[in-house]
Amino acid sequence: MPELKLKRGDVVRLEGMLSLRVKEGNVSISGGLHGKDSKIVVPRAKSLPLEAETDAVVEYALGAGGSLEQLPERTIPHEWDVFIEDVIQAKPLIIMVMGDVDVGKTFFTTYVANKLLRQGIRVAAVDSDIGQADIGPPSTMGLGIFERPVGLLYEIPARAIYFIGSMSPSGHMLEFIVGMKKMAERGLKEADMTIVNTPGWISGGPARALQLHAMESLDPDIVVALQQDKELEHLLVCAPPAKVRRVPASKKVRPRSREERAFLRELLLARYFEGAGRVKLDLRRVRLERCYYRTGQLLDPRTLGVHASIVHAEKLPEALLVVVEGALDREAMHRLEANFGQVKTISRGSEKNLLVGLVDGSNELLGIGIIEEINYAREKMIVITPVKDGDKIAAVQFGSMKIKPSGKEVGAVRPGTF
Amino acid sequence: MTFEQSDLQRLIEEIIELYQRYCSDPSAIDVICSELRTLYQKIPIYPGIIVDCLPKIVQPLRPEELKEGNEISVLLKNNQIFVGKVAAVASDKITLVDCKQFERPRSLGEVSLPMRDVHGIKLLMRGILQKEWPSLDFGE
Repeated sequence: MPELKLKRGDVVRLEGMLSLRVKEGNVSISGGLHGKDSKIVVPRAKSLPLEAETDAVVEYALGAGGSLEQLPERTIPHEWDVFIEDVIQAKPLIIMVMGDVDVGKTFFTTYVANKLLRQGIRVAAVDSDIGQADIGPPSTMGLGIFERPVGLLYEIPARAIYFIGSMSPSGHMLEFIVGMKKMAERGLKEADMTIVNTPGWISGGPARALQLHAMESLDPDIVVALQQDKELEHLLVCAPPAKVRRVPASKKVRPRSREERAFLRELLLARYFEGAGRVKLDLRRVRLERCYYRTGQLLDPRTLGVHASIVHAEKLPEALLVVVEGALDREAMHRLEANFGQVKTISRGSEKNLLVGLVDGSNELLGIGIIEEINYAREKMIVITPVKDGDKIAAVQFGSMKIKPSGKEVGAVRPGTF
Repeated sequence: MTFEQSDLQRLIEEIIELYQRYCSDPSAIDVICSELRTLYQKIPIYPGIIVDCLPKIVQPLRPEELKEGNEISVLLKNNQIFVGKVAAVASDKITLVDCKQFERPRSLGEVSLPMRDVHGIKLLMRGILQKEWPSLDFGE
């Protein structure tokens, strides 16, 4: 295996695919200390800085696309270390990290948590980048605890996850705020400090509303503004000035294109559903959440007085909900509207591939799934999921994306469809 | 102070803006409505992306920029509008296939219409807010 001899203070950029073993001395990766015999793997398309804390020797093996490059100087801004010193002194409970897309919020969180871990401070991280989730599968917000130094946030196992239902907070603002609050509170129960990463959605009315209400709801002790320039100032003017800490972004952040993000998301979902099985749920026993379906008074379709293939009917305060084979013809629709007012129709089969969250009796998210079929007449639902124990599933939360088990996104449903 | 918590307002404002820009061009309104329906069917949860896409549906084009296969709308000096795919372009003519014809709306004042020619009639209700929700019609 090739070796690299390092002097104390040397900085090397590790580009995956690459594996490395510390043969002598100490190095830090993403702020985490790695001594003799530590092994580190950098996956493909990921890049990490290594800093020699003492004179050191590392041996390495390069895979596809892998490389090592000695850098003339540190890429991590000095201000990050000053911030960490201040955190060690002040011992805040909640740190909220804000920043535009691709400024390195996830890396910042990992670096800070690793450095604090070295001081014996147990840190929880809330990952709210729901499209590229590092903790938990995409479409969820995850909570992880730093128990050991890691190079990348995704190495932290999920301690708890919360289902958002889509790959972006757009259209799911309430789930997002509730999820963030619940995960942060859970983090505080299990760690000394919680770092909450917020999404890189920072401008426009909905983004402002989300960021500022998240801030109000979390009530963080410190709001870290990770900026390249002054792109967060319009939000920071609304925050208590004493809480705001402006920190420069790292110099070596590689922006991801929209296509690259979609590809990575597909990969993450495919990996999540690898080995998934089919779970049959009895809808008379399992609760349905975030949908209209099965929240009203069940009606016998034969009593509706129309000649149509209606397989399920129920009376909601808002409308009559019917599930039909194909589409309802105009005459049947007029008749139902005349008798019941507004009519909400679901076409049987349109539930296929819908992303759902599966929660247990304590309202903990067990995992996500994909609806394969609902048998409306027999009141059964078949879900494809890696959650093995179907008996533990107490409720199904409806999302708004449609995906295949291969990870491919195949559509979105209009909120309120089900 | 409040924020828009979704891009719905922006979407409605963009639709109004496009209507004002193209109300005398039924071919443009036709394609915008058709694309709007498709966008909403495909990405109902992303109104912000729909808003960003809408103004790109109809774009001005000079004759020298025409390419075979382009779907275009052509307004003639006599107010006729033709929509179709460019099959050929010469210095003196454009040949379109899959062609549809529209007419630019004109103000005519008073007209008399022979009853025998009437195919259908619809009542057009303006000032609907005042009729349906008078308590919400706050005037100018």
